[in-house]
Amino acid sequence: MNLIELLENSARRWPHKTAFVEEPAGISYAELMEKIQGLAEKFSALQFPPGSRIGLCFGNGVNYVALTYALWKNNFVVVPVPTECPPEEMNEIATAMELSAFVSPKPIGTGEALMPDIFVTRLKLEKPADNHGLNIAFIRFTSGTTNARKGVVLTHETIRDRVLAANKGFKILENDTVIWCLPMVHHFLITIVLYLNVGATVVLARHVTAKPFIEATIKHQGTVLYAAPFHFSLLARDNSGAQLDSVRLAVSTTCSLPQDVATQFHKRFGKPLLPALGIIELGLVALNTEDSLNRWNSVGKPVPDLQVKILSPDENGVGEVAVQGPGICDAYAAPFQPRENILRDGWFVTGDLGRFDADGFLFLLSRKTAVINLAGRKVFPEEIEAILDKHPSIKESRVFGRVHPHLGEVVEAEIVLNAPEASIENLSHYCREHLASYKIPTRFHTVATLPRTAVTGKLIRTAATT
Amino acid sequence: MIQATDIETELLTFLRRDIFAPDVNLTPETDLVGAGFDSMSLVKTLLHVEQKFGKWIPEGEITGDALANTRALAATVARILNEQ
Repeated sequence: MNLIELLENSARRWPHKTAFVEEPAGISYAELMEKIQGLAEKFSALQFPPGSRIGLCFGNGVNYVALTYALWKNNFVVVPVPTECPPEEMNEIATAMELSAFVSPKPIGTGEALMPDIFVTRLKLEKPADNHGLNIAFIRFTSGTTNARKGVVLTHETIRDRVLAANKGFKILENDTVIWCLPMVHHFLITIVLYLNVGATVVLARHVTAKPFIEATIKHQGTVLYAAPFHFSLLARDNSGAQLDSVRLAVSTTCSLPQDVATQFHKRFGKPLLPALGIIELGLVALNTEDSLNRWNSVGKPVPDLQVKILSPDENGVGEVAVQGPGICDAYAAPFQPRENILRDGWFVTGDLGRFDADGFLFLLSRKTAVINLAGRKVFPEEIEAILDKHPSIKESRVFGRVHPHLGEVVEAEIVLNAPEASIENLSHYCREHLASYKIPTRFHTVATLPRTAVTGKLIRTAATT
Repeated sequence: MIQATDIETELLTFLRRDIFAPDVNLTPETDLVGAGFDSMSLVKTLLHVEQKFGKWIPEGEITGDALANTRALAATVARILNEQ
């Protein structure tokens, strides 16, 4: 199957319904399909073989969505590339993910124009990417050191299963209007694809301050908010007195929800924020719809189709969280590892430590998968460490998330210098040359040694520290 | 007492270096949102101010008026930093 079929179904059922609002205009499902068809024909003319992997480097907008589906229609694999990536990072993604081309709003080097605002830059591949017979739709690039797994591979079928499973938690319907502010390059499958599958309307908000976001919610009678704690923190501190009466579901995702954000949002708008647990390899695992006011630090109960268990629990019931069910990733891309090698006895072991309370609510206590989330953007510590470790004054480094009362998490780094007198004066400048700005650590701490495990010498990673 | 003009200079340096593309000619009067300042830019700016001046500027203080341009943003930041 192909995910374009789900959208075609929606367009047949709700042709005149608005799919997206991108002020000042809206686009209906039928018009969106037409746009996708036009783009798909242009991609087809470029004659990339089916299964080619294409880096999509676009900001939020209807174009991002239309390009994704147009690529899918041609059986290409979409690899999202953050727009903030400096050239070195783009090269790394291109090489590791075996991209055939970048698609971007401005030409990259010798890019050819597909449309006045869409350019395709062909990349040289020594041999075509090997998709190992999988019907791949999407690869989420996750960076790492040479030993780490790179790229989470998802087939069309897996994404469909994941979307259906997630909506048993979200319960989003055709009469819902989602007010959207997260970067699509980081959030797309159990969100945008899900919304389009059920015929909902998505309003693309320009969310720099609380005011335009609240205005958009009121104007379009938004029913669903899906954002990072930072965005809810902005809303909670709005003092205009305006209410969000139409909102029925406000989901806080991407990182743990600070208590004061949960409390202040509820106090300001009289609505609870629902913490959710999404994992790149799994989709939506749990959502706290039942008791987010008292158990604001719980991600709730697992969504109906997924089973979650705690491996080897200690006397307090704490152990590693393992998950089974539809939507688990099909493979890691580089080096290629199929699903059966990723699972342990049929379970995906998340690496997070957690426990269930007596009522079945899941609490996460520490995260071994050390992805840091800065206001909705994902940051992989290994990627930043790889850059820091190449700095002439740095022997080794460890990057971690620090809990920030307003942002959820911020990026910080511990560094071990080559020599006590080594200079790191140019470190910020060096980082800016090599990393997208949101990945640059806010603080550098010089330390004598880094914590490592006694037996294997692996860097010890902890949950975001306070 | 921190002067708004000092903060303006600091913010201009930061915004030119860390937020805007080199082809944006940022002056104290440039419309920030019009030039591409988004919510991630706001996160980075608030973090920079917190690190540089030791105080978090509450997000609720950052209204559309405060983001009219760098001069207006500097005035808002100065007012909050100078509050006891």
